[in-house]
Amino acid sequence: MAATPSAPPPVLPVEQAVEYAAETGHVPANAAAAAAEHDAGGLPQFEFQHWAGQAVYLLILFAILYVLVAKVFAPRLRRVIDERAETVSSAVATARSVQTEAAAQADAAKADLEKARADARATAAAAKARVAAEIQARQAEEEAIVAARVAEAEKAIAATRDGAMVHAASIASDTTRAIVERLTGKAPTAAEADAAVKGAA
Amino acid sequence: MADPIHQFQITPLPGLDFGEVTLPVIGTVHLAFTNSHLAMTLAFVLVIAFLQVSTSRAQVVPGRLQAAGETMFGMIDNLAQSIIGHDGRKYFPFVFTLFMLVLMMNLLGMFLTFTATSQLAVTATFGVLTFALVVIIGIAKNGLGFFGLFWPTSAPLVLRPVVGLIEFFSFLLRPVTLALRLFGNMLGGHVALKIFAGFIVSLMGVALAGGVGLFALPVAALSLGMVVALTALEFLVAFLQAFVFAVLACIYLNDVVNLGHGH
Repeated sequence: MAATPSAPPPVLPVEQAVEYAAETGHVPANAAAAAAEHDAGGLPQFEFQHWAGQAVYLLILFAILYVLVAKVFAPRLRRVIDERAETVSSAVATARSVQTEAAAQADAAKADLEKARADARATAAAAKARVAAEIQARQAEEEAIVAARVAEAEKAIAATRDGAMVHAASIASDTTRAIVERLTGKAPTAAEADAAVKGAA
Repeated sequence: MADPIHQFQITPLPGLDFGEVTLPVIGTVHLAFTNSHLAMTLAFVLVIAFLQVSTSRAQVVPGRLQAAGETMFGMIDNLAQSIIGHDGRKYFPFVFTLFMLVLMMNLLGMFLTFTATSQLAVTATFGVLTFALVVIIGIAKNGLGFFGLFWPTSAPLVLRPVVGLIEFFSFLLRPVTLALRLFGNMLGGHVALKIFAGFIVSLMGVALAGGVGLFALPVAALSLGMVVALTALEFLVAFLQAFVFAVLACIYLNDVVNLGHGH
């Protein structure tokens, strides 16, 4: 900004100097200096006169918070987290033991069932064997009775047949004597007729 | 358009400005309780309130707040133990404090007009604190063996001094990268938000003039969409940067805690 050479810039306090500069376009010497001081380096972060105060204050806050975290907050949370881990692990252990117990009971029940089944099977087999033996015995008995009756019947048949055969021989000799008598007019003796019948037979 | 840088201005709260003193070595120090101090205090109080409420009546079956607290706790706890290993529990309070403070400052920045973590002074404090802790633990645990950190035994003997030198400088740069990463993310996000929000206002002003100015309306709508999307993104970044800070702190601690264990 070019200062007009006609009037030398007056020396004013900073605020008035800035206003003056804005109104007239002149930059008073001390205003420029103030602006330079204010905007040194552009960023307010590089105004180093504020650094020490912030740094020291932050370190104090940090130290207090560190002590609080280390002595109060972290132990509290750690305790509760450990407690929770313990609770969870004990609950899991309990659940596991209950589960094994249940499994054991299930196994026992299964074994009982198997045993009962085997018993039933054995009973059934025994009953079957007994019944079969009974049937066999009764059958044998019946068979024996039947066989005896058959033998008896056969004996009777044989006797009847033998009787019949005896009669048949005498009938044949009688018939022979009658035929011979009619043919020859002379009756053979019974002995002759018998011999002839036997010889023809 | 509103100045997008103005939001980072440090201003003492009224009545709490104690003037400037000049200290040796440090130089001029402005003693005041500023908006930055206020933001840090709010974050600090909110972290304590959150942790107090979520842990005061801790139950085995957690309530909603307790579950949230436990999620944060568990996340950092797992992080510390998976990176540092068995010793992780010892360093957990530090990492957790770091994470919660950074996260709360980032998140508060989404609701307030000032973001503490967009101040390089604040992020540098976090970075230097982490770095200092790493160096102190490294020397306390390993003595002079701490410098074995810069002696890469896996590299060929000829290259070792060179690689060691690179390792040493990258080690020295750790606080700088820690500070700049967080600072840059917060700064960039909030500047972008402010610029797009400013577009909406100035373009609506143009549109209100009517006539050709009405063409500014769709652009203003687009800016509004950008602001909404960026806000969502910034919430993600707020969490992510706090998490990244915690992860890096764990990795740096692991370097010195398990030095020479071939982790």
